[in-house]
Amino acid sequence: MNLTLRIWRQNGPTAQGRLVEYRVEDISPDISFLEMLDVLNENLAKKGEQSVAFDSDCREGICGMCSLVINGQAHGPERATATCQLHMRKFKDGDIITVEPFRAKAFPSVKDLVVDRSAFDRVLAAGGFISVNTGNAVDGNAVLISKDRAERAMDAAACIGCGACVAACPNASAMLFVSAKVSQYSLLPQGQPEREKRVLAMRKAMDAEGFGNCSNETECEAACPKEIKMSNIARLNREYLRATLLSE
Amino acid sequence: MRCLGDFFSSSIGRKISVAAAGLLLCCFLITHLAGNLLLLAGEGTFNHYAEVLEANPLLPAAEIGLALIFLLHIMVSLKLKYENRRARPVPYVVQKGKGGRSWGSRAMLVSGLLLLAFLVIHVKTFRFTEHRESLYRHVFDAFQNKVYTLFYVAAMIGLGLHLSHGFQSALRTFGVGHSRAMSAIKRTGLILSAAIAAGFALLPLWFGFMAGGAR
Repeated sequence: MNLTLRIWRQNGPTAQGRLVEYRVEDISPDISFLEMLDVLNENLAKKGEQSVAFDSDCREGICGMCSLVINGQAHGPERATATCQLHMRKFKDGDIITVEPFRAKAFPSVKDLVVDRSAFDRVLAAGGFISVNTGNAVDGNAVLISKDRAERAMDAAACIGCGACVAACPNASAMLFVSAKVSQYSLLPQGQPEREKRVLAMRKAMDAEGFGNCSNETECEAACPKEIKMSNIARLNREYLRATLLSE
Repeated sequence: MRCLGDFFSSSIGRKISVAAAGLLLCCFLITHLAGNLLLLAGEGTFNHYAEVLEANPLLPAAEIGLALIFLLHIMVSLKLKYENRRARPVPYVVQKGKGGRSWGSRAMLVSGLLLLAFLVIHVKTFRFTEHRESLYRHVFDAFQNKVYTLFYVAAMIGLGLHLSHGFQSALRTFGVGHSRAMSAIKRTGLILSAAIAAGFALLPLWFGFMAGGAR
């Protein structure tokens, strides 16, 4: 298939960016979107032009490194799919595809389609962990957890931290990400000792990064490649209210 | 409790404040609508209701409280909206989304500003005005102005849209939100917003366009 790509090119963090048009030809419908960009970059390299910078790592939909807003949709048109798992068969021959980076003040531009998502790391460092003394591993069945609770914690823990929620949110809010991280611990016994401290610290770090405020638009849930649910955001609100009232 | 200061400066805390004020305003709308519907019961009944209400010594305190709730809801919402705009300084060239947003959620700012304009005119028309002997007659006369009547109805459509997102969003903000509860809340929100908007819009339409039905 032959495609016209309109790709956001930006030389550096402070440079002025713009959409640049490229043609790619004889693209197999069976390759992924990122592999299609690889083909484009090979063509550009042959011509001595600078290749398009974009993020990727595992290319299996589990690392959260790939990003891209494709035709105005974070991770492209497919639901529950990261860009690396998006295949060209989802597009038609002759399509014009606009590719932009994830846009948010908290995700500053690095180059072209690459943005700096380390704001998420700093939010995690503020409280997205449990503190455990070293020693012998405890018996796996010593702490009982109901299946339902374990499932909900695992569903929240499926978040790969890609940032599509921020990219898709009309307010550039990071609530879905933070709520998934808060939920996965608050649902489990291991997360209880730091339950209040965690949510207060992570909320503070989230606001400090300059993300927007959640207005329950649910675009984050629709864009999430791991189908993290809005119910986590409700839980984060609940946990924050609870911690505000209970913490000493 | 030491983090109450943090709470009211945090994104979540301010959202909870807006939601709480919004739900209180919903309660006010229901009582206001109930009072308004007495217009359909005739001049005597409605005027009696108005006189009893105005004679209540607690009314000024309730009005000041209501004004403060409105002020809190409007000011904090606008501040949050301003921050949201700043959170994405470079806009997308193409923005399509994946179908998460509803008409109501898209229109929150526009419907909110329409309601603010309506509120100012509404309070001026019906609260800070001399209505001489009959409030019923005053309402009747006000709705003979077709432009005002249509503006009133348009504002009520805005109110319906605002509530269709606002009600369920407020409850989510309070932390209600597992999947089964949410579908019931969404349905309740839609029915409630349609009923409130239709109830308020009924009176200008009745007095403005079916004046024969009024005495």
